[in-house]
This record gives sequence, structure tokens and C-alpha cells, in this order.
Amino acid sequence: MKKEKILINIEDLSDINNYKKIGINNFLFAVDYFSIGYKSFKLSEIKNIEGNKFLYINRILNSTDVDKLKELADEICIFDGIIFEDIAVYNIFKDKDILLIWNQSHFATNYSSINYWLNNVDSAIISNELTKLEINEILDKCNKNLVLNIFGKNPVMYSRRRLISNFNNNFNLYNDKNVILKEPITKNEFNAVEDDNGTFIFNNTYFNLIPYLNEFNNDKILYYLICANDLSFSEMVKYLNGKIDNTNDGFLNKKTIYKLGVKK
Amino acid sequence: MIELLSPAGDLEKLKFALMYGADAVYIGGQDYSLRANAKNFSREEIKSAVILAHNLKKKVYVTVNIVFHNEELYGLKEYLTYLDSINVDGIIASDMTVIKLHSELNLKLELHISTQASISNYETALFYKKLGAKRLVLARECSKEDIERIKKSTNLDLECFIHGAMCTSISGKCVLSNYCTNRDSNRGGCAQICRWEFEYLKDNEKITNIPFSMTPKDLNMVPFISDMIKVGVNSFKIEGRMRSIYYIATVILVYRRLIDKIVNKTLTDEYTIYCLNILNRCANRESTPQFFDKLPGISEQYYLGRQELSNQDFLGLVLDYKDGIATIEQRNNFSVGTKVQFFGPNIETFNYEITEIMNEDNELIDVARHPQMITKLRVPTRLEKYDMMRLKVFDI
Repeated sequence: MKKEKILINIEDLSDINNYKKIGINNFLFAVDYFSIGYKSFKLSEIKNIEGNKFLYINRILNSTDVDKLKELADEICIFDGIIFEDIAVYNIFKDKDILLIWNQSHFATNYSSINYWLNNVDSAIISNELTKLEINEILDKCNKNLVLNIFGKNPVMYSRRRLISNFNNNFNLYNDKNVILKEPITKNEFNAVEDDNGTFIFNNTYFNLIPYLNEFNNDKILYYLICANDLSFSEMVKYLNGKIDNTNDGFLNKKTIYKLGVKK
Repeated sequence: MIELLSPAGDLEKLKFALMYGADAVYIGGQDYSLRANAKNFSREEIKSAVILAHNLKKKVYVTVNIVFHNEELYGLKEYLTYLDSINVDGIIASDMTVIKLHSELNLKLELHISTQASISNYETALFYKKLGAKRLVLARECSKEDIERIKKSTNLDLECFIHGAMCTSISGKCVLSNYCTNRDSNRGGCAQICRWEFEYLKDNEKITNIPFSMTPKDLNMVPFISDMIKVGVNSFKIEGRMRSIYYIATVILVYRRLIDKIVNKTLTDEYTIYCLNILNRCANRESTPQFFDKLPGISEQYYLGRQELSNQDFLGLVLDYKDGIATIEQRNNFSVGTKVQFFGPNIETFNYEITEIMNEDNELIDVARHPQMITKLRVPTRLEKYDMMRLKVFDI
């Protein structure tokens, strides 16, 4: 894996220099108010950081939010790129000098739709709920290089509701807004995080594609995306060097079904 | 234009929806629809549905609203061309491949952008307008102000859900089902994991023994239909392609009459309360407005192990009425002395106490206890085929 192709989500600004020392120079930052689920920053905190700086705008926006985003457009354009969820972001920045990466969660699942977007933006992040076979077909048939998520807690739900506060308030519990939800039958654990703009839920086991990287056409990959949620720099480096403990391979080897009783 | 839009899981439900006052129905084909495990419509049935609806001057929209994986792309062009050739009025889609094919194939059917696209601001709405959308099905999270601004900016037809189950998440932004059951929620396999209960933990310790739940109550927009009309909503959409004919008939009739009374300026507070009572009883769930007037809080969701007990309110379906005798197919037990209510698309709802019951052979019986048995009741008020008899719980 070429380190210069890694794009890593930053939760602690003091990690940046450490990552630079091992050859990682592309950084992704969640932005206050416009991001959800991740540790976010004010634009003023990150604008002077050296390296390639991408903003992660992953909220679904209402019209007032769109107005606020427009007011910040010039300030945002000093960054290198935006990874966006809401299409309003594309509409606002499409004619500006900033790299745009489409990341409509769970929607980048076929080469045809991704190619539509690649006619309009610079790249797209391939969705996580796909098999190796599906990802490779997408990489082969897409017209530009793509971003592949290779490590992190995968997002599994985004709600506009304050699900944790509602529950805590209903039962008069201390309102900790970062909790684990464990499904008792399947034993799946999810990490739910809430702020004023809603609740964001991650699968609590780290997804790890790194051991499979040689099974993909790496020439078609623009960036390897890493979201090192809650992991320190030193822990993350262990995974980059091949550690696989406490990780899973998501759907890489497991095709999802949707019609019960029908063999696809 | 104000349209009452009903779900229809199969041809029978479609007939009831149109009969009971829907202006249009949305249905799913056997492929590419987000209710993959509903009965859905074969191609021939879609054709029949369109003919039936058009004969009544009503419309049929077909959901092509899965998020496609590579393998589903094959056959899509041919399917869309087929839908166009049989005069389907519109497709409901969110995947960009469907949206671009609508334009490339020069289809005459309307393109409606699904609520899966999470449209909740005017810029996103303008994006889809540019791609040829005739109608936007807005995100359920839209407030009154959001809807108003989108309407003013786009002047497109706007469709909003007004009744039925809610996703806990923003529609399309949930793959809990994939992770817990391997069933792909965005291709119609959702196992509704958000309605399950969870252990609630922090640092590997239980925060409480109370199971965590996040299930929203159903949506019910009865108090705000008038406001929705004012801000420019055109199509009022009921959720529930997997619901029964009784549910469809009840909900559609309530909203049909409510909308008509609003338009005719004859709506009373009493009728509004009656609507709310009937709707809450019909679904066995509480229902409430959600995002239109506020951000939903603790009162808009359920806690603890709530059970959805089905009631037995639907007593019978009228098959015939002649000389004061109604022939009724039994759906739940009723007996002499049961207080019932008849309702139907062309009658005023009325109360009635059963005084005698005859079986198919005109023999007097005390109780109709066999499912789908044919009974005859002496009912002085004229009924029509497909009217329904329910237990009287609320006064009219």
C-alpha cells in the first residue's frame, strides 16, 4: 500500500505530525456543525495545517444549513477537497476550485451510478456493503479513480432524532451521548453518538480491508480511506502494519440478500 | 393539484385504495422495489393496475427505488421501457442510474425522486429538478419551513408522507439490517432492526437494565393537512404497501374526507378528533406528527417492550345488498347484540346494532365465528358491495 495514497480522518490534531513522519500526508477533518458522528473542528483550527486537507461534510442539510454553508464557501475553498453527503454541497461548490468527492452513504453500490457522478465530480467513495467481486467490478468499470474505505468503524445509521437523549430523559439517566448498543441475539455491537443534529451509529467492530488490498486493482484507487475512530496513532500504525485482532472484513466475503427464500 | 396517494401491495389492495378515495396508488414490481418481500405486482398485474386506474381517471406510480448493485443493472432498461409502454404514470426512484435512464430513454412517464434521496433543502431539490424530476418525495425530516422553501425555489410537485410507519433513520441512511441479519435494507430486505431492543452499555458495563429502544411512533398528519396544503404540498402519501385492505380502506377514507372537508371549508374539530381516534385504533400503534412542527422528542418514540396486539375490529366485508339484507363475509367474530359501524366510499358512516344473523342457508345463528363465512344481516340503510363493517368503538 502506497502511504501517499492514504487519506486519514483526524480526531486529534496532535496525531498529524506523527502521521506525516510515516509518509501519510492526506488528512480528513469533520467540520463543526456540518458533520455528524466524528470529532469535528472549526475551520480556523485546521486551515493552517500543512498537507492535503479534506473536509468531511456528512450531514443531511436543511435550507438554513445550506445558507450557512454558502456564507462559508470562500473560507472552505482554501482547503483541498470536500467529501460530501448532501447533494446541496455539490451544487454550491461545483464551479469552484476545490476537489469534490461524492459520498452519499450506502448509495455508491454500482458502477453505473458512480459513473454518473464521476462525470461531475473528481471521485467517489465506494460503499461498504459490497463484496470484493462487486468492488472490483466497480473499480474496473468506473471512469475515474475511486476512494476505497480500508479501515474504521463503518457507519450504519444516521438519524435526525436525538435517540440517546430521548431515551436517557425518558428514564432519567445520565445523558452520556456516546454509548454502545448491543443487540442481544446476534451479539452485534454498535457505537451510537449524538449531537444537536442527530444520532450517528457505527458498527463497533473495526472494518479492516488492509489484508485484502492485493486483491484489488490498486491503480484504480485514488485514496485509501481510514477512519481511525478512537484509535491512538500507535494503535493505528499496528493495523497499518498488518495487525488484524478485533477487526472484521465486513461484507467483502459475504453477499447480502434481500429476497427471502430466493437464491440470487 | 391535491392528490391522495395510497400504497397498494397487490391488485386487491389497489382496488380498495382507489375505491375508497385515493387519487393515485404507488406499487412495486417484483424487482427493483424496496418491499422485496411483499407480494408485489407481476408485469401483467402492473398493466392491469394501470388500465383499472386510468378507467377511473386515477394514476399509478411504480417504485423503482432500490439502491442498485451491479447485478441488478441488467434488465433495468428493458423494465423501464416496459413501464413506459404500458402507460405507467410515473416511477419513484433515487438511484442515479434510474434517473439518468429516464432521460436517456426519453421516457414519457414522470420521474419522481424517492424519499430515499433525503431531499430536505432547496439546493438538492434544484439539482433533481435539473435532472428532469417532475416531483420530489421529500425527506420525512422536513419541517414546514423546509417544505415551503423547496416549493418556492423549485415550483415542482411536492409529495410528503402523511401517515404510517417511520424509519428511525433518515430514509436510506441505515444498514443495521445488513449488519444484524445480512439482509440489505436498501434493496428491500430491511429487517427493521430499529424496532428491536438493545442492551445499553458504556465501557462494557450496562448503563441500565432497561432495554434501549429507538422505535418512532407512526406518523399522523391529521392536524396539519391544512398547513401542508398552504405551503404547497401536492401529493399526500400514506405509507404501508404491506398493510391489509381494512387498513387501506380505513386510512384512505379518513384522509379523503378530511381533505375534502378542508377544501370545502366544512371541517369541524369533532371530525378531526374522530379521524385521530379511528386512525390510532386502526394501526394498533400510536401516531403523531413528527418533524413538520418540531424536532421529535421523547414523546414521539416508544420505550420498553411494547407489543403490537392486533385488534379484531374488522368484522366483515359487504358482498351484496338486496331488499334490506346485507350479505357479509365474516372477518372477525360478531354476534347478535354487537354494536357495529358500517363505512364505505359512497355511504355516510353509520352505527348499527346487530339484531339477527343468518347463515348462507338463511338459518338464524347467534354468532358468526368462522373466518370468511357468509352471513346475512338485516340492515335498513342501503349498503354497497365492498363497504366494511367494523366494531363500533367511537361515535361518529
